[in-house]
Amino acid sequence: MRRCLIYLDGKALQDSIDLLEVARQIYAADDYWTTGVIMGLDANLAIGAFDSIIQVSLDQIETYDPLAITDVLVELQQTRAFDTILVPATPFGRMLAPRLAMHLKTGLVADVTAIRHEGEQLLAIRPAYSGRIMAAIEFVGEGPVMMSIRPGVFHWDRQTEKNTQMETITPDNVRDGRIRRLAAKAKEQTYDIRESDVLVSGGGGMIGHFHELERLAQTLGGQVSASRKIVDQGIAPRSIQVGQSGKTVSPKLYLALGINGAVQHVEGLKQVKNIISVNLNKNAPICSLSDIVVEGDAVAFIDKLVAKIEQEAST
Amino acid sequence: MKLICLVKFVPDVDSYQYDFENNALIREKARLQLNPDDVCAVAFALRAKAAHPETSIEVVTMAPSVVTPHLQDLLRIGVDRGTLISDRVFAGSDTFATATILARYLVTRDYDAVLTGTHAIDGDTSHIPAQLGALLDLNQMSGIVRIDENQFSQASAVFDVETEDEIVTYEMALPAILSLTRDCPYKLPYASRKDLARDVSGNLCMITSQDLSFAADEVGAAGSKTRVAQTFTREYDKKGQVVVQTDAAGVDYVYQFLKEKSFI
Repeated sequence: MRRCLIYLDGKALQDSIDLLEVARQIYAADDYWTTGVIMGLDANLAIGAFDSIIQVSLDQIETYDPLAITDVLVELQQTRAFDTILVPATPFGRMLAPRLAMHLKTGLVADVTAIRHEGEQLLAIRPAYSGRIMAAIEFVGEGPVMMSIRPGVFHWDRQTEKNTQMETITPDNVRDGRIRRLAAKAKEQTYDIRESDVLVSGGGGMIGHFHELERLAQTLGGQVSASRKIVDQGIAPRSIQVGQSGKTVSPKLYLALGINGAVQHVEGLKQVKNIISVNLNKNAPICSLSDIVVEGDAVAFIDKLVAKIEQEAST
Repeated sequence: MKLICLVKFVPDVDSYQYDFENNALIREKARLQLNPDDVCAVAFALRAKAAHPETSIEVVTMAPSVVTPHLQDLLRIGVDRGTLISDRVFAGSDTFATATILARYLVTRDYDAVLTGTHAIDGDTSHIPAQLGALLDLNQMSGIVRIDENQFSQASAVFDVETEDEIVTYEMALPAILSLTRDCPYKLPYASRKDLARDVSGNLCMITSQDLSFAADEVGAAGSKTRVAQTFTREYDKKGQVVVQTDAAGVDYVYQFLKEKSFI
């Protein structure tokens, strides 16, 4: 039986559990066993989803120390020899996975968004070159298959509860990475675009007018999001960026204003039910994915649509 | 302090071309720029040097020799040594092979900290800093948005890392690898007229595969653990879209659509 280890990031437990769907796609009909590993004793949400869970007793190990946590996983792999290791591409996962892969002398594919099989060959799909193209990557060499998985792309359909075997280990050979957390300051929480049903999103065509999106978002009870171009210009914070270098979102309604829709952006749209795009160029890539294409100026469109909705509401 | 900045010159994302037949980026034709996150790494090093003139800065990059003028630009604004790791046999290296090459060079150097960017806008794997951490036995931290200049010493660094919901301040013992993001406030200075005319070729150092004693199967595609099997442009489910204008009829169409779907 093939065995798959999934790293459970305590800060993104649901995203980590969703990696079970990746394991399912990798092994398809084959028999496989899933093990989740978590630093600390807080795996509750994952119990019932995995075949087994390893909780790592953290005496003198800091969960934010990539050097130390890598040592834990190296020791685990040396004794258990998993066939596949999956890590969520969270900020910590993206530090952990390459470090671990290097210790295990194995290849790693970053930020995977799809799994494909070509005969016997397993291919990990990811956007490449700023999302201009998709690349199918194969693993060469003998180590375990390792991938970091883009959060928000795969979803585990938890139909049956498993009788999860629980185990707590205390690793022996863990070095201290000599890093200490001195302080933490909560950021002003705005909103999570991944949780919005309605997103009003602006791209390069909204430079200079980005704030206008807020009116439409408010009228529709939604939130504002942005493309890479807007974020790179410093007009909007990275936390509301949609796309390969931002977040993957699944709203019921996505309004794309002044967005061209290069692959890098469209990669961030997953199971979006309704797309309306407003663009001066009706042949922009985003338009072919849209239910409605409004050809014209986005600010004029906002003015007119908001006025129309307000007028209808008051009659 | 001795600082090494590990940087990458990347194609301007809007200008490069891709060779679909050979699965390779046509780097020679692309307009190059210093990767935005890496700009912050170099800019911070130059600030540290301005405050403490005994600081030395070496910029290291692995690239085709076409980046030489860009490396010289950095030497003109205060970087002490520019090292170009370049060899035809390195072409096709994945991140595993690339990190192996860089590490083989870095172990020959004496340094207190390696400063890098967090993401590169072309590859965007963020693998190299962490992989180097493993190979050099150094701890590594990504996502740094500020380094405290007053607490930056040979012993340790104090810095802020920004995540989705918080800004965390860490202290990390040096030597270590510190990976900055473009959200840092550090900017590169402009070269003065005098600096622009300066001959910096003496501070430029070229390192080849032979210098690092690599066997042919350790680098390039042969030394890699992953391989691009194919590339494709993604096909999306096209919708039979309706095209309207921003006139009253168009706005009304959108309004009815939103109403039908219960968004208003």
